[in-house]
Amino acid sequence: MRERIVVVGFGPVAARLVDGLLPSVRSGLVQLLVVGQETEAAYNRVMVAELGVGRTTADALAMADAADLAADGVDLRLGVTVKRIDRARQQVVLSDGTTPGYDRLVFATGSRPVIPNLTGINPDPSHPVLPSGVTALRDLRDAAQLREAVVAGKRVIILGGGVLGLETALAAAEEGAPTTVVHNGSFPLGRNIDRGAGTVLAASLRKTGVTVVGNARSTAVEHNGPDGTFSALVMNDGSRIEGDLLVLSCGVRPRIELAEGCGIPAATGILVDHRLRTHHEPHMFAIGDCAEVRCADAGCSECRTALGPSGLVGPGWRQAEWLAEYLILLAEGGQDAADTLAPLPQERPGVVLLKARGINLAVAGDNAAEPWDDELLSVSEGMPGRQVAQWADPGHGRYVKMTTRGGLLEGLVAVGMPRTAAELVMLFERGSELPADRSLLLRLDGPDQLDTPASHNDSQRTVCRCAGISGASIEEAVLDGCSTVPEVSKATRAGTGCGGCHGDIKRIIERHFQGVAA
Amino acid sequence: MANGAKTHCPYCALQCAMTLTPAASAQPASGAALEVSGRDFPTNRGGLCRKGWTSPSLLNHAERITEPMLRGSDGVHRPVTWDQALMLVTGAVRQTREQYGPDAVGVFGGGGLTNEKAYQLGKFARLALGTSRIDYNGRFCMSSAAAAGNRAFGVDRGLPFPVEDLDSASVIFLLGSNVAETMPPFVQHLQGARDSGGLIVADPRRSATAAFTGDGGGIHLQPTPGTDLALILGISHVVVHEGLADTEYLEARTTGYPAIVRSLAAFWPERVQSITGVPATLIRDCARRLADGARRGGSYILTGRGVEQHVDGTDTATAAINLSLLLGLPGSSRSGYGTLTGQGNGQGGREHGQKADQLPGYRKITDPAARAHVAKVWGVDESLIPGPGLPAVELLKSLGKPDGVRCLFVHGANVAVSAPDAGAVIQGLRSLDFLVVCDFFMSETALEADLVLPVTQWAEEEGTLTNLEGRVLRRRKALTPPPGVRSELWLMSRLAESLEAPSTFSDDPEAVFEELRRASAGGLADYSGIDYDMLDRGEAAYWPYLAGSSGTPRLFLDAFAHPDGRAVMVPVVPQKRSTRSAVVGSEREPLTLVTGRLLEHYQSGAQTRRVAELAAARPEALLQMHPATAVAENISAGDFVRVSNERGEVLCRVELSNSIRTDTVFLPFHFPGPGSANLLTEAVTDPVSGMPEFKSSRVRVRKAEPAHAESVLSMQGKLVMQGKEAS
Repeated sequence: MRERIVVVGFGPVAARLVDGLLPSVRSGLVQLLVVGQETEAAYNRVMVAELGVGRTTADALAMADAADLAADGVDLRLGVTVKRIDRARQQVVLSDGTTPGYDRLVFATGSRPVIPNLTGINPDPSHPVLPSGVTALRDLRDAAQLREAVVAGKRVIILGGGVLGLETALAAAEEGAPTTVVHNGSFPLGRNIDRGAGTVLAASLRKTGVTVVGNARSTAVEHNGPDGTFSALVMNDGSRIEGDLLVLSCGVRPRIELAEGCGIPAATGILVDHRLRTHHEPHMFAIGDCAEVRCADAGCSECRTALGPSGLVGPGWRQAEWLAEYLILLAEGGQDAADTLAPLPQERPGVVLLKARGINLAVAGDNAAEPWDDELLSVSEGMPGRQVAQWADPGHGRYVKMTTRGGLLEGLVAVGMPRTAAELVMLFERGSELPADRSLLLRLDGPDQLDTPASHNDSQRTVCRCAGISGASIEEAVLDGCSTVPEVSKATRAGTGCGGCHGDIKRIIERHFQGVAA
Repeated sequence: MANGAKTHCPYCALQCAMTLTPAASAQPASGAALEVSGRDFPTNRGGLCRKGWTSPSLLNHAERITEPMLRGSDGVHRPVTWDQALMLVTGAVRQTREQYGPDAVGVFGGGGLTNEKAYQLGKFARLALGTSRIDYNGRFCMSSAAAAGNRAFGVDRGLPFPVEDLDSASVIFLLGSNVAETMPPFVQHLQGARDSGGLIVADPRRSATAAFTGDGGGIHLQPTPGTDLALILGISHVVVHEGLADTEYLEARTTGYPAIVRSLAAFWPERVQSITGVPATLIRDCARRLADGARRGGSYILTGRGVEQHVDGTDTATAAINLSLLLGLPGSSRSGYGTLTGQGNGQGGREHGQKADQLPGYRKITDPAARAHVAKVWGVDESLIPGPGLPAVELLKSLGKPDGVRCLFVHGANVAVSAPDAGAVIQGLRSLDFLVVCDFFMSETALEADLVLPVTQWAEEEGTLTNLEGRVLRRRKALTPPPGVRSELWLMSRLAESLEAPSTFSDDPEAVFEELRRASAGGLADYSGIDYDMLDRGEAAYWPYLAGSSGTPRLFLDAFAHPDGRAVMVPVVPQKRSTRSAVVGSEREPLTLVTGRLLEHYQSGAQTRRVAELAAARPEALLQMHPATAVAENISAGDFVRVSNERGEVLCRVELSNSIRTDTVFLPFHFPGPGSANLLTEAVTDPVSGMPEFKSSRVRVRKAEPAHAESVLSMQGKLVMQGKEAS
């Protein structure tokens, strides 16, 4: 009996799950139905903004191919929605009129953009109808709309100072569109970074040509453009910010209504345990943006500190990989076999890396502590205390803060220091200890790091590495009468390997003869 | 011999041309009987490194074995006659075969053997010993790149172009190769790229080669060990997404492009940055330079052991090939992909039947047509050729085990030092019923042998080797070997006779080569058009060299070696190991150990540690460590440390350097005993190639107690003494 698995949703996370299940589909162990609302097969949504500014193509974003999947035996229904789930009959009711049954069902419904409450926009959260010239930049059509505006050099307003908003703004500005970011805190990325980084970031944004409007409350959209398209964003002080395209970038919310509709418990996202099973219904699963890992055990220590859905794709992919393995074990050997797979480890807090050409920014964990906080300076017993190291050079657009406990990073933020950022992020991801001298990490971005030429006048230095000849030996040969590189080579073998030291040998000869002349 | 013997260096795959002449009356400092001079040749242009210059000192070295040595019950090796030695070997083989079957006899070969020896060794194993159990140490270095090359291009020739093609390149991307130490004269060919700022080196260490990217020479990418595959995917992602791919080329010359695009979608630079530690800006920069170089003087992508010696080595080499195909490099006359072969005959040694799954001419042993062809050349019935055997690591794991190998021949290899998990390998050697080792010195493996047979060195023999570019070179005799020393061809010929083997086993290199020509004819590595006379005239012979043709300096100009003429792009992605954020460096073993080579030594060091000048320059294994990492463990430069994990422990001194990452330590693998790096490496292998993981063992480093330090000191003292005696 083939195990029937239904996957609801076909975004990047579902694509990874399908990839993982493919071998079992090919072998006939699993019968797989995938229902995708969009008419395209899964693509990398993370890069929709780059598509919107023309930095990549829709083809390059593809993560699956409908024809290939069909050839492998996957029943892929694109442009089809699940209307509801009949748990009693274990069936899904589809918009194409069919009602396929399932043995296991996976929610991979993702999230939808938050539509802010603005006069002029229909606030219905599940079916927002956005006026012309307003987009939430979520799918390929939204990207096409942005693309059109950028190509025409139209004025783009981004509402929201989060990661996606900033990435879109930077990309649009770099591609030549006059761009404004409107956000409501005192600096952008307020939820992730501290004031120091925020200040440096805002300055860097302005330097790249993005207009930044902070501490702003918007109340309405005006659509007085041609054919009633968007024309301005109206603020609560009555001022207006004029533009041709408004990109709403106010965060996302898990899509849980289908699960809730069939009585599956949800909080922010669909609640699942450490094996990604929904509460009380172990043959239903949720992964990616729509899932919230929080088990039913009130005493579970992991879940006490668990974070809600991160909105990042990395954790979703790890869930998809794990679940593919789990589902295959279930299909092969039943629950006993599946139980041999260790539960998915708890996610570390997500890392945010701004995908942008002009600005380098990395942030992760908690960055609220300041170096001079009392807690940090007082001696604590038992548990190692928290420490903060900081480097600020706003004049050059550079800022780093490392928050550690026992040498391990709890938070990091780095602006304008790409090598330092890359190293810190890796140390954070791996939970590795930082070097005790934190300034070592800052120096990764210093020019001295790249070149460490020994002093050219140090005669003990090896000049010819291939033959292992020191400057002193060459000087000796020159004293003995060698006056050309070939003569030195013949006498000492220096320069007889790769020849890379011929310049150095020549300098030693010249120095000698200059000395004689003087 | 007025002008001396025109031959090539005994060591690495660059096979630098050299001339050997009898030493002048004034004895050279080394006391050697021959003098070396560099010879002008396209690969080395007259250059030699320190190893080449000092190579003759091993010919009349005091420790040279010049008689067969049999180990007595007291463990001491004593001379026996060749007649006795041959009788003992014959008896051991017969007894093992009778008691356990032919597969209980095994052969372990080497990538330093001439084509003639490698070919005849494969034939000897299958026909004279009747065993399928033959493999060689090339499995430790070239198998992953070979598997990837075969899969993508249909053929594996390290560099499918002459090495001097690199001279005019605008961009050369070296992945995991430290040529400045491993084949110094090769560095000349990087000069053009350095001058145009286009040398890109990916290495976790700021190696001597990576340092060439300084002063505007190019860029150094410093990924954390084990993340090379993700790095290459990130660069490929940029190529696809920024429209840098050569779509016309992909359309005309490859298959599999759409699946590659899909597999790359998830590897945008910022994500790759968090996996590798390489900044996204550098990943983009690298992609753009490669694409730009391809449009100007040419771009080359070259891989080395640094990216290949991993459990995902085949996939990593495949990713590098895919990147080169995206850019349209392979099969163009001024761009390409290549892998830098390591051992002297690492190329020829992997073509003519030393591998467990292979017959001469790079044929598959499971292919009925290949078997029929080779059986015909050998004049035997096809059923006499056994099927595929076990790859090296599996072969070594089987030593002394039930159903495993109980009688082993070792030729040109020092597995007690060079194999992963060397401690377990030594145990395996000790559990054998009979071990025969052919060598010129009492290597660490020879010390374990029941019988050690003295064989000729490079300057004492004729033959051919195939260098890293697939060019067949002549090795020439400059000196008569010491009286008790024999060639391995002679040995095989005598043993075949006493074992009553079918077919013929000549002891004349040229006769063996003539047979190799016929056996390779029609195979991928076809040598049928090459002969000694042609090589002696100095003609450049690149395989495939079909009879009547003029050879193939550049492969793939018209087509790849698959039936449809297209290169195959196979999507590859990292295993969870390198992407899962929850994988945390274990507290107990927080550092990653990378092993590698030093300029002064070659492979297990059995030869170079005996050259006084080289031993004096690098007498011992030093652990390279970042000062910040050392400070945390209260370790100072020169301190003795214990480097340990579950497999073993190394005792050595520390060298501090800020050219290494703080989470990584480096140990050269040339040294035996307590400094043997392979005591720490794990015998896990790539699923496709069977090649082991040498570059990412977890270790812990602690300061050693004085007692430990003393034991190491006495050990090192012995090594230094050896060096002194030699000089």
